[in-house]
Amino acid sequence: MRNRLKVLRAERNWSQAELADKLDVSRQSVNAIETGKYDPSLPLAFKIAKVFALTIEQIFSDDEVAQAAE
Amino acid sequence: MIEPVSDKLKPVAQRYARDMIIAALLYSVVVFAGAYATRLELPHWLIIVAAITPLGPALLMLRAYVTFVNAVDEFQRRIQSEAVMIAAGVTGFGTFTYGFLEEWAGFPHLPLIWVLPILIGSWGVALCIIRLRYK
Repeated sequence: MRNRLKVLRAERNWSQAELADKLDVSRQSVNAIETGKYDPSLPLAFKIAKVFALTIEQIFSDDEVAQAAE
Repeated sequence: MIEPVSDKLKPVAQRYARDMIIAALLYSVVVFAGAYATRLELPHWLIIVAAITPLGPALLMLRAYVTFVNAVDEFQRRIQSEAVMIAAGVTGFGTFTYGFLEEWAGFPHLPLIWVLPILIGSWGVALCIIRLRYK
């Protein structure tokens, strides 16, 4: 799964630690999600979407769908 | 280098450390008392009780670990789960294989008391490797 977390975070000038604080997770968790090493659960994905005031689809995309779009 | 514990994990890690230290101290006391009791002329049933007693503090350690794992976020929980699975596999298959070596190839007998240290040791190594992988 791909995500735009790093870009969205940069747009808001948030550090990984700040985003982690908003999501109530560790900074390592944010880093793992950003680098694509960890896919969040649905509840965490909803939380991320809420923090960025976006829909889940605007942040996360399926690998195959993203490849097809490219 | 392993990253220091983040602010988010700090209270959880502190509680875990505190609970673990208390349980480990209790465990040490009980084990030393048990070892001392075996030197005395005590009835056999009392020696059995002394041998079983360390299970109490050991269960406190287990409770501290389960509480810790339930308190961390889902990513940290995944790291812990992977480490426990690898440690269980290494210990289980490792000791099982060593059992064959003992039975078939005449390797020296490995007392069962080593199983837990092997499990904890392999959990620690697995945890370090998994954390590095997710870095």
